[in-house]
Amino acid sequence: MMRLTSDIELADGLPLLYIKSLDAIVCSDLHLGYEGVMASRGSFVPKLNFRKIKETMMKAAKAFGAKTVIVVGDIKNEFADVHVEEFNEFREFIGFLRKELGIGKIILIKGNHDNFIDRFRQALGFEIFAQEALLGDYLFFHGEELPKSKGGKTLVMGHLHPAIAVYNKVGVKEKIKCFLYGQTADGRKIIILPAMNYFAEGVDVNQEHLGKMAPIFDRMLDVDEMKALCLGEDEILDFGKVGKLRSV
Amino acid sequence: MIEYYKKPFSREESLGSLNFYIRDWFEKRYKNPTPPQLYSFKLVREQKNLLITAPTGSGKTFSAFMAILSDLMDMAEKGALEEKIYCVYISPLRALNNDIYRNLNEPLDEIYKKLGESVKKISVAIRTGDTPQAERQKMLRNPPNILVTTPESLAILLNAQKFSENLKSVKYVVIDEIHELANNKRGVHLSLSLERLADLAGRDFTRVGLGATLYPLETAAGFLVGYGDDGKERDCYIIDATWDKKMDYTTVCPVSDIVNAADEKIDESIYKTLNEIIEKNKTTLIFTNTRSGTERVIYNLMRRFKYGEENIAAHHGSLSRELRLGVEEMLKKGKLKCVVSSTSLELGIDIGYIDNVVQLGSPKSVTRAIQRIGRSGHRFSDVARGEIVAINRDDLVECAVMLDSAKKRRLDSFTIPKNALDVLAQHIVGMALMKKWKIDDAFALVRRAYSYHSLDKKDFMMLIEYLSGSYVGLESRRVYAKIWYDANEAVIGRRGRLTKLIYFLNIGTIPDEVSVDVYQDRKQIGSIQEEFLSRLKPGDIFVLGGKLYKFDHSREMKAFVTGTESKIPTIPPWFSETLPLTYELALEIGRFRHELADAIAKELRGIKGISKLLKARKFTGGKDAEAILDAMPMDKNTRSSITSYFTEQLLFAKHVPNDKLVLIEKTSDEKGERNYLVFHSLYGRRVNDALSRLFAIEASDMFETDVGLMINDNGFVIVTDAALKIGKEDISRLVSNVANSDAARIIRANVRRTEMMKRRFRHAAVRSFMVLRNYKGKKISVKRQQINSELVLKAAEEISPDFPVVKETYREIMDDVMDLPRAREILKKLKEGEIAYEIIETQVPSPFSHVMVTFGEADVVMMKDRRKHLRELHKHVMQQISKRYG
Repeated sequence: MMRLTSDIELADGLPLLYIKSLDAIVCSDLHLGYEGVMASRGSFVPKLNFRKIKETMMKAAKAFGAKTVIVVGDIKNEFADVHVEEFNEFREFIGFLRKELGIGKIILIKGNHDNFIDRFRQALGFEIFAQEALLGDYLFFHGEELPKSKGGKTLVMGHLHPAIAVYNKVGVKEKIKCFLYGQTADGRKIIILPAMNYFAEGVDVNQEHLGKMAPIFDRMLDVDEMKALCLGEDEILDFGKVGKLRSV
Repeated sequence: MIEYYKKPFSREESLGSLNFYIRDWFEKRYKNPTPPQLYSFKLVREQKNLLITAPTGSGKTFSAFMAILSDLMDMAEKGALEEKIYCVYISPLRALNNDIYRNLNEPLDEIYKKLGESVKKISVAIRTGDTPQAERQKMLRNPPNILVTTPESLAILLNAQKFSENLKSVKYVVIDEIHELANNKRGVHLSLSLERLADLAGRDFTRVGLGATLYPLETAAGFLVGYGDDGKERDCYIIDATWDKKMDYTTVCPVSDIVNAADEKIDESIYKTLNEIIEKNKTTLIFTNTRSGTERVIYNLMRRFKYGEENIAAHHGSLSRELRLGVEEMLKKGKLKCVVSSTSLELGIDIGYIDNVVQLGSPKSVTRAIQRIGRSGHRFSDVARGEIVAINRDDLVECAVMLDSAKKRRLDSFTIPKNALDVLAQHIVGMALMKKWKIDDAFALVRRAYSYHSLDKKDFMMLIEYLSGSYVGLESRRVYAKIWYDANEAVIGRRGRLTKLIYFLNIGTIPDEVSVDVYQDRKQIGSIQEEFLSRLKPGDIFVLGGKLYKFDHSREMKAFVTGTESKIPTIPPWFSETLPLTYELALEIGRFRHELADAIAKELRGIKGISKLLKARKFTGGKDAEAILDAMPMDKNTRSSITSYFTEQLLFAKHVPNDKLVLIEKTSDEKGERNYLVFHSLYGRRVNDALSRLFAIEASDMFETDVGLMINDNGFVIVTDAALKIGKEDISRLVSNVANSDAARIIRANVRRTEMMKRRFRHAAVRSFMVLRNYKGKKISVKRQQINSELVLKAAEEISPDFPVVKETYREIMDDVMDLPRAREILKKLKEGEIAYEIIETQVPSPFSHVMVTFGEADVVMMKDRRKHLRELHKHVMQQISKRYG
């Protein structure tokens, strides 16, 4: 277990965090139903994502015993519709959180992939926020747009799928998913979550141009000054500031 | 039993076995049967399985068809010829299908002109992917007696519910150009189709295989006939008429001293030699080893001599079909003085009159050399003439030994991929679509095919599990499963309303190949072939558009590179285009090295002032050496170049590496910037591919450093930093560590994250219908296929390292791309001392390593930089020799 602030904890190399004051597990970018949709288009990717997400949530619930889960966007993958494969996993996921993990409250901040999901709110029972949500000291927003609210001491964002590229022994490039942690130009703390999705390899934050993906980097955030906290086997590894990783 | 049929039948026995009208036509047209026909007429008439190998122009096709037509004619005369398919002719080339169609209709038309309409006419029809819908419909209603088709179309027909009924009457199957099929997955695919056809018919049919030179013939025959349910190979006679055609060939060295001649001089001599040959003959066919080489030769011949588009032309796979057909037409009409080709003309299409073949650079295999030279001399009675023009020292030795082997009829063998799970997956889906199968019956059918005779039931069951979608939950199988499987009853059958469509739209084994864009700093700087990309390792340095780049990584269909300070490319741009030296020929060269080096070494013991003799080019190697070289097909320049090459190596390094001696040479480049560890392991690139990885991984671990790697047919080079100090005992330890290692496990781990794995996995995933290239009629781009298959790989590996598609990819890489089985054999021999190794240290690379350390710079007609580099290396060696021996 690693304490990021007095209120935020990370655990065991998991791509999610726990906020004590909200008693909530916070995660993002699940892209449920991903393989099923792929299969319905002719690429039969074995289903693994949902299984891995369930395992992760189980570990998190055991570690933190939270009563709330906040998903900071992209719980599903398709833009145009809710594919039947997505709906099935989505429904199962909500049920799993409630029944198996005893989660009472499920909050979804909509991401760019979450169109048309509102219609299931009543039937499945979750809270939904269109753009962003100010909960306690925290401003949750997905990240494809700038946050509108000036409130919140800490911003929590998804969308980016941050990762660090490293070269292994045979010189092959590999990516390690990471959290990014830093401060915005207006002095608020910000934490960017790694993707929960098993297949998302991540975007090399030490190589790619990020402003195109998330406008916050053009306006109010310098990635070089952010710390990269990488997901190790069962621990979190502090890689230091992204700017320092560029020269490696 | 498979056996050679060695005694031909008499003319009368042969012709007498034919139907009266067929014989009459044949005699009027040809008079006498050719040598293969003197065997085949009677044997095919007796419905024996037969493999016939014979050179072009030997009447191969008719050797099969005269007897088959006789049978059909007999039936027609008796009024017993029905609208049924009696014979299926399969060729890998669509172009060949049209030829055959014409060739069969010619006698039929002439015979029936006489016969009139009293006798039912034997019908022939072509069925390929190009056949229009209307004709397909017609074929369904009125099936032809002889169906001319391709392996892929046959597989589709086997699964066509109505048409497959028409195939049940099949009595004969003829497979043409069997040498183009037997060594690859296309052939593996066909071998299963044949067993499915036999199963459909409910009985065996007569199988006739036709091909050019292909050794061992027993294996090719086994591939043709497969196994009976008693576990024994079905009976087959082999007719080998390869050697009935006379051949005349030699190795040509363009200059008297290939090492010291100036660039311009070598170029000039090569083209002068080519021009002389062209002028002497009516039509010359020149083979180069790469497409770019073809273009360069055309350009130079036009520039230097009086040739123009009207009398010289290129023919290779990158040219459009129209252009190629135009060239073929001109050839047939005898209008061309010269045609230059990479591989496209070595196949069986009729190319008219060619009286001489020139091969520029080593063709890497005895069989291929014979096949290519055999393209000359149109009629069977003509002598096939050819020259191999060698372009460097190793090439000279290689070509001379190659032609000597050809003379001694020692051919290199081919191998058939065994137990390929991806191809099998396709057929299981096809089988299940047609009917319910008991698992044991389906397994028994598969094991009748040569390529699957040793298939493990466990692997078969794993495939069944995979295809039935057991790797996803029950609720998803509706989408994922391709077959229905009842484990309790042990039965499989069809499943899914889309499966049939998937099968028809995605059948086949040839992967889509595309070019990959190369990016430096976000800017596109050029493109490379995907197959070349799959050969690259991070850190490899290659030439693109005249500049050097270091490969970094790839994503989808993009390759990312960085600029580099290094002046030494590690891999030539055509690496993936050229064929590896065959193992047998490599060993043959090793034995030659042994023999010649021993002879020269003996002579050297008594000689003083050798360096002067060498300089004056007066040293002939002595009587024994001369005798060895005298017996081999080579010109004077080749002889003297080989002699000085071996002598210099002996004087400089004391050892000439051979089949029983691996020389390990620790040296550095002439500037002292890099250390080289040169392994003179002459076993061919496929073996060296595996060996070199094992040594590089172990070296990198032992010396805790990054290493570079260069691989070719004659050995490999581990490149390290100049600062690294390695002693002889370190190298000994390296050898013993590698010899004692678990080679398969290490290679597997090493291959896991490579481009090769990513790309080959896509091929296997596409073949196993895990990633489709066409879904519901919509084409899926190669880029999309690649992205998706990387996701599939990631998940499949996690499910099980033995997931069938993953397992097949490793098998293909280790057994088909590399030759790990033989690499392991060599390691075993090294360990047991059957192959010795010698470690030497040199200040500059020894002569036998020059071609290897400059390998990345190599080109068909050599690049100037490289030649300069080679000459520098040579100068250093000669200075040393001069110092030591005076």
